[in-house]
Amino acid sequence: MKYGYPAVDPALCPRDADTSEPLAARKQPGYYAGFSTLSQSPFWDDATRTVVEKRVDHPPARQFFSEDAWNFWTAVFAHLIPQTDRTPERQIPVVAVLDQRLAQNQTVGYRYESMPHDRVVYEIGIEAIDREAEHRYAGEFLLLPHLQQDLVLKAIHDGKPEAAPEIWKKMPVHRFWQMIMGDAVDAYYAHPWAWDEIGFGGPAYPRAYTRLERGEPEPWEVEEKRYDWLAPATAVSDEIDSTPSHHTEAGQHSHQGSGGTH
Amino acid sequence: MRKPLLGAFETRNSHKHMVGSLQSIHLPMRRFREYEEVDYAIVGVGSAGGVLLQRLARAGFNVVGLEAGPFWDTERDWVSDEAGSHELYWTEPRVTGGSDPLALGANNCGKGVGGGSVHWAAFTPRLHPSDFEVYTRDGVGADWPVTYEDIKPYYEQLELEMPVAGPAYYPWGHPHGYAYGPHPMGGVGDALIKGCTALNIPVSIGGPVAILSGSHGDRPHCIYRGFCIQGCKVGAKASTLVTHVPDALKKGAEIRDRCMVSRVELGKDGRVTGVHYYDIDGHSHFQRAKAVILSGYAIETPRLLLNSACAGFEHGLANSSGTVGRYLMAQAGNVVMGRFDQPVRMYKAPPAHALTEEFYETNPKNDFARGFAIQTVGPLPVAFGKQMLAAKKAWGWGLRREMMDYNHWAAFGLLGEILPWKDNRVTLSEDKDRFGLPVAHVSFNLHSNDKKLIKAAKEKTEAVMHAAGATEVVQEARYAHLVGACRMGADPRKSVVDKFGRAHDVSNLFVCDGSVFPTQGSANPGLTIQALAARTADYLITQGDKVFTSNERDMASPPIRRELAPPETWGKGVPRLK
Repeated sequence: MKYGYPAVDPALCPRDADTSEPLAARKQPGYYAGFSTLSQSPFWDDATRTVVEKRVDHPPARQFFSEDAWNFWTAVFAHLIPQTDRTPERQIPVVAVLDQRLAQNQTVGYRYESMPHDRVVYEIGIEAIDREAEHRYAGEFLLLPHLQQDLVLKAIHDGKPEAAPEIWKKMPVHRFWQMIMGDAVDAYYAHPWAWDEIGFGGPAYPRAYTRLERGEPEPWEVEEKRYDWLAPATAVSDEIDSTPSHHTEAGQHSHQGSGGTH
Repeated sequence: MRKPLLGAFETRNSHKHMVGSLQSIHLPMRRFREYEEVDYAIVGVGSAGGVLLQRLARAGFNVVGLEAGPFWDTERDWVSDEAGSHELYWTEPRVTGGSDPLALGANNCGKGVGGGSVHWAAFTPRLHPSDFEVYTRDGVGADWPVTYEDIKPYYEQLELEMPVAGPAYYPWGHPHGYAYGPHPMGGVGDALIKGCTALNIPVSIGGPVAILSGSHGDRPHCIYRGFCIQGCKVGAKASTLVTHVPDALKKGAEIRDRCMVSRVELGKDGRVTGVHYYDIDGHSHFQRAKAVILSGYAIETPRLLLNSACAGFEHGLANSSGTVGRYLMAQAGNVVMGRFDQPVRMYKAPPAHALTEEFYETNPKNDFARGFAIQTVGPLPVAFGKQMLAAKKAWGWGLRREMMDYNHWAAFGLLGEILPWKDNRVTLSEDKDRFGLPVAHVSFNLHSNDKKLIKAAKEKTEAVMHAAGATEVVQEARYAHLVGACRMGADPRKSVVDKFGRAHDVSNLFVCDGSVFPTQGSANPGLTIQALAARTADYLITQGDKVFTSNERDMASPPIRRELAPPETWGKGVPRLK
């Protein structure tokens, strides 16, 4: 079964901050080397252990997407939540989780009135992204070089797609972006390998956390050991937008004017 | 990886229905037969429904709670895991819109026995006396048909029944203290204390939260695992599933879970006769009842009334005023995040453990009416990731980088009062659910006072975060809680129910949940919802059979019936209420 990403091309890897040389992919990126939430699973309750171990050992198989759609979204999510710093066997299934959600028609419990149903979003989203790729670089998204793919998605992230206005009329670009990034976060940061990466202690029932203050680690957690790294030269997603924040929800996702900042 | 001192954990092999790690449900529960007419059918066994069920059963009434979601066995069904907790929330279809659409689902809607009290963070501040007369004082919003003094004995009572942990002296609103000791601080609480203290802002430390700081009956104390809003497997956080439902069943109440009420039936005499519902297999049933109480919360309760339109009530049952579904409120819930050089590890400790209400009241120096609170929150990785999407528009490598710093961030939530507006409402959508029933359409629009208030609250919360020593401060705009949409009032032309929750239009139909709030303050609504439920129960118990036989409306307040509380939950400790 195919879950992750193609074998890692050094040009797509994060780089050493001093030498700009590609960093070798790691089993566990992040600043908590040696920390493993799963190593603590004997101290979790049965129900939690079952749910988390299933997530690791048995990612869902493709049910909803066609093979083409699966490949398309796999390429897109490789930009939304890139994993080229992870060795291939330690890359976290994202599209598989999304596919299962859509197969089960599971939603967050509401639909924005301006948005189609979730399944439709992932159907017309393919055309919207492809049209933007054609418009900018005269090629299908899947066939573009990595950097150009990143730039196509950045245009959508920025709320400034130039192609397919009739699709964006049916589906506000900021709500589309919110949904696909939400799915990326839902899948990636629900995985215990991501917990290890960010130093999240994970489940702690029935054992408890005992060191609540000053960010102290539990005896079974580890201290942070930071290292500097640069994003790959083929990516633009490391640039954080620092425009003033909006104080209403409707304003913060859209990039139109300063409606929420008065 | 070092191993802890205690051994590996094994779940006890138990055939009991567990609610919390020690407490089990008294089974078998009573089952009413299909054709039996019960005294009360309660729609929704959540914060209010759980309390009502317990009180009415203990007073000797035949009472059935119909709950759309499951009757949780917490050892079997709940997990210490964000993604695995999806079932706790109302994820049936809904449509959200207006100029400022509300996120629903996990944000504010529970499903299953215990309802929202299963996934609340359990902050339990009281409303202030001023909240009951907002219109009189400020010329905005509405007055309540009750005063703080009417509700105060129920606040005191429910604070013992849950019970609430907090400081011995709480200075805001009507000053009071808590009988159970405050919780120790986590990293976020420390940041809030530091920031507030630097700015000379008083701060409440370690509560008020409905989380046990010491063991209580067959409920253990908090273990600070941080998964409060995924359901407390420990049983330390109060939900009606652990505080009131066990006693309700012991006293002969029935809970029919996974039953979705589709319609309230009105008889020819203008009184309701029962409720239609679908069971888990999609079969349709009718439960006859002498009186019906709707406790489905601020979206499903108005939806059910609208879906129960019938001859004489073409625009929704009990809706002669046209206010069913209107004056829906959410609170501003912007999350302000600060990055600290030193690690915080905000996943430890309950998200709710410190707050300030210093800015709660109307301040004539402001350009808006009413105010806000600032509280600790402790987002876990998935929630924090989504906040980073919104606050920093992070994606790709930027998102991965921000998330690697998860342990350096602390988060405060502001809780800002949004006023009740007629155009913020629940209506029926064109979309249908799996039973073919029209789903709720929620329309929400901020008005000028709301926007000014949110802006000021956000800036103050950011200032506190900076003062706490954060080197970077960002924020996500969002909303928290839901109330209103079936508001109580003295005037039947402008409200849906009277001050006891009885529908103005139908004498044996009651609404008892957050939807009856005329205004909301900047206090988390859970305590007030349960206090109102206990008060409505006392009214019904005092009225006795008159509710079932008469259309007469007695507006005298009932005496408080403390003896009907779950035993051992009150009467000892300080304050001793007896």
